Amino acid sequence: MLLVEDNDHLAETILDRLRAESHSVDRESNGEEANELLRFAKFDIVLLDINLPGRSGFEVLRSMRARGDTTPVLILTARSQVDDRVIGLDAGADDYLVKPFDFRELTARCRVLARRRAGTASNVFAVGSLSFDRAAKRATVAGADLDLRAREVQLLEIMIDNLGRLLTKEEIADKLYTFNEAPSLNAVEQLITRLRRKLDGTPLALKTARGLGYMAYVDE
Amino acid sequence: MSRPEGYSLQRRLLLLMGLGFALLLLIISLLLWNYARTAANRTYDLLLAGAALSILERVAPGPTGPTVDLPYSAMEILALAPRERVVYGVSSVDGAHVTGAADLPGPPRDTDTPAFYDADYAGTPFRFVSQERQLNLPEGRERIAVRVGHTREARNEQQLSLFLSGLAGLAAVSAIGLGFVWLAIRRALSPLRQIETDLRARDPSDLSTVDAVPPHEIRSLFDSINGFIDRLRANRALTETFIADVAHQTRTSLSALHGQLSLAADATALDEMRARVGKAEAQAQRTVRLTNQLLSHAMVIHRSENAALHPVALKPLVREQLAEMLRDSRMRDVALTFDDDISGDGDDVVRADGVSIREALRNLIENAVRHGPPDNSVDISLHLEPGDRIALGVSDAGPGIPEERRPEAVERFTSLARNTAGSGLGLAIVRAVAESHGADLRLETSNAGGLRVVLSFPLARPAADRSRRRGALVPLVVAGCLALGTEADAQGQTLTIFGATDAPAMQRLIAGFAEENPGIDVEYREFQTVALHSYLLEAAPDERPDAVISPAMDLQVDLVNRGLALRLDLLEADGLPAWATWRSELLGFTFEPAAIIYNKQAFADIPLPATHRELADLIREHEDMLRRRIGSYDLRESGIGFLYATQDLVQGAEAQRLAEVLGRAGVRTYCCTSEMAAATAAGDLLLAINVIGPYALDAAERDPRLGVHFLDDYNLVMTRTTFVPEGASSPELGARFIAFLLSRKGQRLVAESQLLPILPVPGTESEPVARLRQQTGTFLPIRLGPGLLTYLDDLKRQRFLESWEAATTYYPLP
Repeated sequence: MLLVEDNDHLAETILDRLRAESHSVDRESNGEEANELLRFAKFDIVLLDINLPGRSGFEVLRSMRARGDTTPVLILTARSQVDDRVIGLDAGADDYLVKPFDFRELTARCRVLARRRAGTASNVFAVGSLSFDRAAKRATVAGADLDLRAREVQLLEIMIDNLGRLLTKEEIADKLYTFNEAPSLNAVEQLITRLRRKLDGTPLALKTARGLGYMAYVDE
Repeated sequence: MSRPEGYSLQRRLLLLMGLGFALLLLIISLLLWNYARTAANRTYDLLLAGAALSILERVAPGPTGPTVDLPYSAMEILALAPRERVVYGVSSVDGAHVTGAADLPGPPRDTDTPAFYDADYAGTPFRFVSQERQLNLPEGRERIAVRVGHTREARNEQQLSLFLSGLAGLAAVSAIGLGFVWLAIRRALSPLRQIETDLRARDPSDLSTVDAVPPHEIRSLFDSINGFIDRLRANRALTETFIADVAHQTRTSLSALHGQLSLAADATALDEMRARVGKAEAQAQRTVRLTNQLLSHAMVIHRSENAALHPVALKPLVREQLAEMLRDSRMRDVALTFDDDISGDGDDVVRADGVSIREALRNLIENAVRHGPPDNSVDISLHLEPGDRIALGVSDAGPGIPEERRPEAVERFTSLARNTAGSGLGLAIVRAVAESHGADLRLETSNAGGLRVVLSFPLARPAADRSRRRGALVPLVVAGCLALGTEADAQGQTLTIFGATDAPAMQRLIAGFAEENPGIDVEYREFQTVALHSYLLEAAPDERPDAVISPAMDLQVDLVNRGLALRLDLLEADGLPAWATWRSELLGFTFEPAAIIYNKQAFADIPLPATHRELADLIREHEDMLRRRIGSYDLRESGIGFLYATQDLVQGAEAQRLAEVLGRAGVRTYCCTSEMAAATAAGDLLLAINVIGPYALDAAERDPRLGVHFLDDYNLVMTRTTFVPEGASSPELGARFIAFLLSRKGQRLVAESQLLPILPVPGTESEPVARLRQQTGTFLPIRLGPGLLTYLDDLKRQRFLESWEAATTYYPLP
């Protein structure tokens, strides 16, 4: 992981916290230098402050995305106005936290990002007893096949890819059904219910926010 | 914050007073207008009444019923209003026409005579008088009505001038009045200025009330200002309290944190230390939240004062905020639902600051989560409400707030729940957002027994916005240009002139005109005067020529009086004597005194008469010598002869006597001056009277046997007149021709045509003409005007011709 943060005190606490959770974390305090570093070094997650000497966090983020670097970025901002966050998300951030933040929340978000990346980057997504083999289209709980149908596998894949993100029913239907199939919102609902039942007992939870959509998260 | 443009009290008062004055002016002008009309009418009605009376006086029983000998004075009275056209009619009350126009409109019913009334005649507004008289006829009594009418031109002009002069006075009075109003306003507003000066001069921190004794009218404003200052002072005190509160809260929070940490640092046992640190962390969390809330509150207040409200669709905004909040891992156990009844696009648009709304919503949800159980369910709803409002509701399943404590809950730093340790700012933030958006904030009990907070926003109704933006099409006015009477236009145009004037003279004039205006074809048609008159009366307007020229002044006046002529505004006409122009429509361009031609040989021993009386005496004395050897115009055929003869009659009784002696002497009648001149030269005639002077002079110039004589008492002068008829196809060409006739060149050509120009052309006149000019004292010009209409009256004309014929018909003595 890379932490780009100019405030030494905050950086120290974050580093200690993350290292205590046995992550390996590098730190940069200058936007320009961070940008240089990111050109050559690969990280799993970048924690990016916005107010940086040298180059603003947004600029660092933009040049990363311009290079095609898809490393998950979590923005840390002291500015509380929504506009900043929107700009951050538009620039390609995966998530953000407003300072002062709860350290537990920070690590939780980092985990989500790490898992989401792991889920897409490798063929096997494993959390607790649940293991999902993307290539084999197979999900097992403690080694036992979950016996998912094709649509359920598809849905699971979608939810894992968007871990920690709220997806509306329509978005899921769009991803789930091809252009020629008539997407049915009811079917999405039933599919979610079935999948949730099958995932029962695993740390992967499918949360329903009625009227808003669904979100998958790892319950620890 | 943009302030709408204010208005000026002074301007408004002035405007109002101005409007009042304008209304007053309007009313007075209406009265004035009517008064001016009455006054103008009264003045000119006297002329009508006089003319009617003088006609009525001459109504008499005749052999075949009532008859009228139209008095010259009647027309002369009417001609006192020099520019008016006149009409008259005499008829019996039961409708039998006597003379004049038969179709004159009658007076309104049930009016006494004389009755004055306005009516249209032949498409023109006229003012009429109708006057009646009883006539005793052999068949019994009959009432005879005389109607005389004037056009309204002079009346309208006088009415307008009376009206305008009255109005000018009124306007001056109004201006003075408004001036005083202005002064009064300035004076009345001075206490306000005083207050303004007082407030402006103050130190910003001086919030004491304004000390002055205001007039009654602004006492309430004054009190309001002082009340406002009081509130401002209270507000400032409140702000100071708030700052103190904030300082207190922050310090307390930080002290607690500090205290816990100190205790932890001093702790001897690890467990104790862990407990202290745990408490310190909790305290730190509260401090963080407090700081966040304070900043959020400050931001919302700041934005309410500074951020402009834009149309914002609430539904996507709310969904986005909820999706964002769901990322927070603390929300995982909370059942968050959202429902709405927004179907159409734009149904959820309110004028809002999106950032503030998000802040309010976040605070509401955080409050709901904080105060509720861990498995709380939070329902967010967005519903349309009656009265074009939209309600954003957040309900929770928490303990709720008892109704009586709800007002308290929205106050700053009031946290009702001690155990959940709110900052006391959440609802205060929501309230600030509601206030800055004109939204209602309602605290209710939710279905789950918890609290429901509803923010009800007024809808922006973008549909209405759109229709308001759809501007009205500005009509495009395309201006067209009309080019009139330019030289280029004249190319290939034809000027048509109908005239009763000798052709050689006309040819010379036309040739002169054509020379000056190349490209204009001139068509000239020759008429007899009477024939020309009847042609114009009968021809359709589009068959009329562009200019009419005739020496028969009375017939020309009759045509103009019937409204057949167009008004001409010619610079060249400025020099014309008043008698030679009427209504700026009929213009004379020659000067033609009547003359006597005599055979020089015959009168070698007889002294020529000096006056008309002597002329009559002379004829009488030499009756035998002159029998059948006196020439005169045939009055029935020749307009000029008729004109001279009737005008002689106007001059006095001598004319009657002259007619008698001419009759006894067996006067012979001719068509024209040239024939009379030839006959006189040959000796067939010895004397020809009332011939056209210039022609006679010309003839005498060429024939030594002829003499031309002018009398010493008076010599009638007539002028050839011209006008442009209405309906002419090229009136501008007609006007151009007439202007040419009156121009220096035209007048010179007139002189060269053996006619006398009406405007002197120095250096070009022949010697006898120059001599003639010197005799001006005896010249009596016939005045163009309604007076000439007298002898055109059917009865009058008939009677005159009959009596003339009776007197002049030669019965050879047996």
